[in-house]
Amino acid sequence: MNHIKLGCIVVLAILLSGCAGQRMYYWGDYSETLYQSKKNPSDQSMLNHQQSLEKILEESRKNNLRVPPGVYAELGYIYFRQNKKDLAIQNFKMEKALYPESALLMDRLEKAAKIADKPKPPEDSSLGDSPNKSDKQEK
Amino acid sequence: MNIINIVKTKSYLRVGLAVLICFSLSACAPRIAKMVTKGDKFPLLYEEAPASILILPPINESTAADAKDYYATTIQEPLTFWGYYVFPYEITTEILKMEGIYDSELMKNLPLQKFREYFGTDAVLFTTIKKWNLSYAVFAANLTISINCELKSTKSNATLWQYNGTVVVDLSGQSSSGGIAGLIAKAIATAISSAMVDYVPHARRANYMALRSFPYGKYHPLYGKDREQKFSEQARQEE
Repeated sequence: MNHIKLGCIVVLAILLSGCAGQRMYYWGDYSETLYQSKKNPSDQSMLNHQQSLEKILEESRKNNLRVPPGVYAELGYIYFRQNKKDLAIQNFKMEKALYPESALLMDRLEKAAKIADKPKPPEDSSLGDSPNKSDKQEK
Repeated sequence: MNIINIVKTKSYLRVGLAVLICFSLSACAPRIAKMVTKGDKFPLLYEEAPASILILPPINESTAADAKDYYATTIQEPLTFWGYYVFPYEITTEILKMEGIYDSELMKNLPLQKFREYFGTDAVLFTTIKKWNLSYAVFAANLTISINCELKSTKSNATLWQYNGTVVVDLSGQSSSGGIAGLIAKAIATAISSAMVDYVPHARRANYMALRSFPYGKYHPLYGKDREQKFSEQARQEE
C-alpha cells in the first residue's frame, strides 16, 4: 500500500512540476504586490512592491539565476521617481547590459534621468540633495 | 498465496499509475480536440523569431471597469518564462499614457513600426478582456474569464500568434468535476485568494493556459526546438 501511495505522490509531483513550467527566474511576490499596489494604491503598497523587486535581485543573485526581464528597469524607474537619479541610471544600465533588447528604451530613460535636473517635489528633496551618498553606497 | 498477492499488488499499482497518467494527460491536454503542432499553426512566428515583446494596455470589453488594470498585472511574468524579453509594463504604459495612448483599440490598425522605432520591440501583444464576471445560479457561482491575445510583428504588422480562451471556475466547491485539473484549480484558488472572490489568481491561470500554444523565445532552453510540439485547438476549458 505504501508503495502505491509513494508511487502516486511521485507521479503527481512530476506532473505538477511539468504543468507549472520551468523555473528560469525568481519572480517572488512580484505579481501579487503589483496587483495590491493597483488595488489599494498607498505608500505602503508601493513600498511593498519596491521591496519585492529588490528581493528579486537579492534572491536571483543568491541562487545564481538571471534577473528576470524588466526588473532592473522597473526598480530604476521607481528610484527615478524618488529622485535617486544615480541609482536609477545604474539600474537602467544593468538592464541594458543583461538584455540588449532593452537598449533603445534604457538609453531614453537614462537620458531622461540626466536631463531631469530640477529638484522634485519637497518630500523627495532630502534624497535628491545627496546623490553622491547613494552613489557611494552602491559602489 | 503470496505470489498471487504480489501479482495483485503489482497490477493495482499499474492500474493506479495508468489512471493517474490518464488524468494528468487530460489535465495538461485536451479531452476531445484536434491536435496541431506549433510550427504548423504559427509559421510566421518561427520565421520572424521575435526576441522582445511589448505588452499593450488590455482592451476591456467586459463589464468590469477595473479588469483592465488588474489583468495587466498578470501578463508580464508568465511571458518571461516563455523566454522572451518582455518590456517592463509599468514603464511602457506610463510612456504610452504620456503620449496619449491608453486605448489599445485605436492602435489595432495602425502601423506598428512606431513601437519598433520608439521602444525597439520586435512584437506587440494585444490582449482583449472579453468576459470578467461572476454568475450565480441557485446552488452555484461561476467565475468566467475570457481573454483574447494577439501577438503582432512590428516589422510586418502580421499576426504571429493568437489565442482565444475562456476559464470557467466553479466557486461553489461542491461538485468537483474536472479531475485533477479541477482540484488543482481549487487548490490554487484557495491558496491565493483568501476570503473574497479574487479574479486575479484565475486570470494568472488563464494566462498559463493560453501560453501552452506559444512558441518559446531566445532565453528558453527549448528555443527553436518546439516546432513539433503539439497543442489542442480547443480553447474553452471548464474547471
